Order: sequence, then C-alpha cells, then structure tokens
Amino acid sequence: MSAGAKKRIMKEYTECMNDPPTGMKINFNEQNMTKWEVLVDGPEQSIYAGGHFKLEINFPNEYPFKPPVVSFKTKIYHPNVSNDDKGSMCLGLLRADEWKPPNKVVAVLRLIQTLLIEPNQDDAIEPSIANEYKENRKEFEKNAKDWVKRYAK
Amino acid sequence: MADAGYVLPDEELAQLQKLSSDFEPETTGPLVGERQSSAAITTEYANADPVYRVKTAALPSKYAYFRTCRGDGHCGWRAIAFTYLEALVREANVGKFEEEEARLMSINNLFNNVGINYELIIDFAEEMFDLLHKLAHSVSSNDGNADAILLQAFNDMGTSLSIITYIKFLASAWVQAHPADFEAFITTGDVKTYCSLSIEPSQCELDYVAVGALSAALIKPAGFAFEIMYLDRSAGEEVNATVFSQPTDQNGMLLPNPPTIRLLYRPGHYDILYKAEDFPPPVQQQPIQVALANPYNDSFIPSESSVDIMAMIPGMYSTSFGHRWPSVPYEFDASPTPQAQVTPVQPYTPTPASAAPVNTSRQDYMPVHASHQPNHSNTGRHGLHLEGPPVTLPIHSLPPPPVSIERGHLTLERGGPFRPSMYELEQINVPSFQTSIFKNSQYNTAHYMNPDFQPEAWSPDTEYGAGHKGKHKPPAQ
Repeated sequence: MSAGAKKRIMKEYTECMNDPPTGMKINFNEQNMTKWEVLVDGPEQSIYAGGHFKLEINFPNEYPFKPPVVSFKTKIYHPNVSNDDKGSMCLGLLRADEWKPPNKVVAVLRLIQTLLIEPNQDDAIEPSIANEYKENRKEFEKNAKDWVKRYAK
Repeated sequence: MADAGYVLPDEELAQLQKLSSDFEPETTGPLVGERQSSAAITTEYANADPVYRVKTAALPSKYAYFRTCRGDGHCGWRAIAFTYLEALVREANVGKFEEEEARLMSINNLFNNVGINYELIIDFAEEMFDLLHKLAHSVSSNDGNADAILLQAFNDMGTSLSIITYIKFLASAWVQAHPADFEAFITTGDVKTYCSLSIEPSQCELDYVAVGALSAALIKPAGFAFEIMYLDRSAGEEVNATVFSQPTDQNGMLLPNPPTIRLLYRPGHYDILYKAEDFPPPVQQQPIQVALANPYNDSFIPSESSVDIMAMIPGMYSTSFGHRWPSVPYEFDASPTPQAQVTPVQPYTPTPASAAPVNTSRQDYMPVHASHQPNHSNTGRHGLHLEGPPVTLPIHSLPPPPVSIERGHLTLERGGPFRPSMYELEQINVPSFQTSIFKNSQYNTAHYMNPDFQPEAWSPDTEYGAGHKGKHKPPAQ
C-alpha cells in the first residue's frame, strides 16, 4: 500500500473521530489500517431497528482510486446484500465504474444506512429478495425481522 | 427465500455480472514510457490491414517520436496531463511555471462555484502543484533533471492518479461553468449528471467533451496548441489530425509556432506523439545510432565517384524529387544478382506473401539500373499513384537489404509495449527476410531507402562527409 493511500485512510479515520457518524462505531487498528470493522445499528425507522450489524470495510491498495470493499459480517435479509457467507455489497458509489476518488468512507457508511431504511430494488444483488420486497412486502418484512432476531441481536 | 430452482440462475447471473464488472484488461508497460522513434508504430502494424499499414508507414516522417501510455483506462487523461507539464518543461522558463501555477490556483474558485467542494479534491490538486514546484525548481537550477522528475512522477501510480483526478475535476468544473459550449455534445441528462457519470469517476476514459474542456481550461490558456491524430480505419493515407487548441495572443492573433501537444488516438487508446523539431538535435538516442550505423559500415560507404555516375545518368535527377534523393549511394552493386532480376513490367514484383498495398503504392519508383545502386525514387510519402507505375522504364526488384537492418530496427523497440513481431521470431531464419514485405517498405524509416531514413540523430553530414544535405529537405507535400 502506497504512502498516499495510508495517509488518506489515516486522514479519514481522524475525520471520523472528530465528527463521529451517528448510529455506528468504528474499530480501527493502526497495525492493519486497511481493514475497518464497523458496527452499524439498524436505523430506528427501519425494519432492522434493534439489530446491530457488523461490517467490514477493506481498502484496496489503490485506494482512493478504487472503491473500498464493503461486506456484512452479520447476516442480513436485504436485497442489496449478498445472501452468502460474504455478505457483499456492490452498488452506487461502491461500484468501480462509479467511484470517485474524492468520495469518503463516511459517505459509504451513510449510503448503507440509507439502504437499510430503503433498499434499492432496481440494483439488487439478491433478485429473489428484491422481488419479494416488491411483490410481497409483508413477507419480506417478516423475514427481515426474523433474521434480525436470529443473527443481529 | 423463493424456490431454489428459480433463484439459482439469478444468483449465477449476478455472479457473472459481478465478474464482468470486475474485469480489468491486463495491462503492462510503464504508465508513461520513454520517448522512442515512432518507427516502432510502423513495425507494430506491419502485419495489420492495409489502411493501418499505409497510415502508420507515413507516420514517422511527420511525427518522429512517440511515447506510450499504459492502456489502463486512464491513458487519455494521463497523456494530456503529462504533455501539458512536459510542454512547460520544454519552455524552460521558470516564470511560465509561476504563471501557470497562479492561473490554476485562480481556477480553483471554479470548483466551489459549480458546487464541487474544493476541500474534497485538495489532496489531488496538491500533487499537481507539488510536481509543478519540483519541475520549476529543476528548470530554474538548470540541473537537467526535469524530464526525469516528470517521467518518474507519472510512473508513480499514486501521483499519476492524483494528478489525473485533479484534471478530471478541472474538466468537470469547466464543463459545468461553460454549459453552453458543451451541451451540444451531451446527449443524455444534464451537464452536471454527465460530469458526474462520465468525467469524475475513477474509471472513465477521456471522451470528446473532456478533451474540449481540458483544451480550453488547461492547454490553450497556457499558450499551447493541441492536436489529436486519429489512427483508425477511415479513408486516407495519413492519420487525421484534429486541432483542439490554437492559442492566441491578447489581440486574438494566432501565436506563431506555439509549443504543440500532440496525442495519437487509436480507437480506445491514447499515446503521445512528437515532431522531430520538438526536441533539439542532440538527443540521447545512442543505442539507435550505434545499431543502425554498424550494419552499414562495410557496405554503405559512399564513394564520390559513384555519386558522379549517378548524376550523369540522363533523367536520373531530372524530376523534382531528385532533389530529395539521398545522394548517398547504398552499395548493393557488389552483388550481380539483382541485375538478373530485371523485370520490365511490374516494378517490384511482390512475392505472394508481400502483395501489399504498401508496396504497390510505392510503384512510382524511378526506375534505375541495378548496377547504379540506389533507385530510391521515392516520391511523396503517400503513394501518389497507387496503381500507376511509370510505364516506360524497366524496374528491378529491389535488392534485399542486409538483414542487419532489421536487427537494427528491432533495437528501436527497446522496452516498448509491442508484441514480438514476426521479425523477431524469424530473426534467426535469415532467408525468410528476403521475402518479407516489411523490409521492402520504404515507409519504414528504418529502411535504407526511405527518404526520411534518419532515426533522429543520424546525420549523413557527419557520417559520410558534407555534401549530402539534400536528404534533409522536407518532402514535397
């Protein structure tokens, strides 16, 4: 990892410390600064309220010229999070072809909070869950809440 | 979860989609390469289709050098940023660096005016200004390191991409501040959306709008001209030049002979082109001189007497192109074989393998008897009579040039990103060279018969003594 990338990550972490984003907690390890662990609370107004989701943010060597890679370590029933052991997300500014170097991790975290409140059904990584979200909202909410209870307490 | 039989294909699709969106073409070579003879481009296309062959063959005579940019999707941006800074270095004027820094600083207001938070791009802008300072310092101390500093900075991925990011946002801000100039080229969405999707992202290639924006924001105000040479399959026998910037003075008059930034565009990729006069003569291209000089040492020593003989041949120099002829005879007459190949009909009968338009376009040869050596009646470089050889005089097959020319030529490609060519592969197989088209192509400046046969620093005057200056006359257009 280049000195520039390290400097940039350090700077972003300092910004997060000075102005902590609400509803989340960042675990930062200076020995391994390219891997952040973030604990995100399910937003109050969302079906994920009450849940606590562990996220991992991995910074590529080319950061900030390539986007960070975000994955849910806590299982979540959500159209935009892959329903496997990776829990990966790839949409919006996280996509390689939409990422802009001035974007910051905080913006990524805010995007995730927004997605917890309102999933993006057009850009789903789990089409079946997206379909359920679209066609059978009740069933979707039931499953999502069920998973919160099961995995995210 | 819905039923698994339905889900699986979707998941596979999603996986495939992810694979395809994560795909990156394999890229090699330096981010910005060393300056090299553009004959390497001719070599690269020696086996391409005729349009490319003709166009690339004509290239080295006009644009003597080029520089590669790695084809990683950033090449166009990188080429512009690099050439802009390189043009400043070539100006060798510290005052100009200061002017440009002040000017770029003043443009920074533009960012906030169009709603781009300058704070967010300040890190990238600082890389640009740092490099400007380093270059200015090197130029002011006249330590001769500026070129190396520039090349090194651009081959550092972080620095290079930071500067690219800076000029991307500069382009974006410029487009948003001058929407009227660009709206016509933006087919989808408004100007802001366009910039957000097609200029600002990390992975987006330089497009026409951005070229226009950078030309107006970065290049023209610096007093540089800007041209892009398009090498594609369109009609024509040369690359098509499009002028993007013609700098003017305060009174709106065109500046005479401004420093010029030239890019070579091949569909999907940008490299950098130079004219020979962009660089003062003493270029450090030692390897090329050595490599090309060696093969000629024995057989290419001109003799004054043979020059005289040439001059006595009626009609030999009667045409206008006679003047441009290198009067240096390349001694092939030692071998009687070419004489035996006299063919009165088609000059230059190509072997089947070499039936190439590049050759046929050269048929306007001055016919010359083989015993009188150089029948380099090379007219304009662009095949004036594609199908019309001079009808009356017999023409000989060209004597095969020494294989060592090819070897010499290969050295031109040192370190370049080019695939190994057939010449490399067949290098050991000497006989195969005898029928290769390429060595017969006078479009190749490494070819002994090319009127512009002068890998930059090759000087007949020093090599063969005075009196052969005709070689350097600019070819008639």
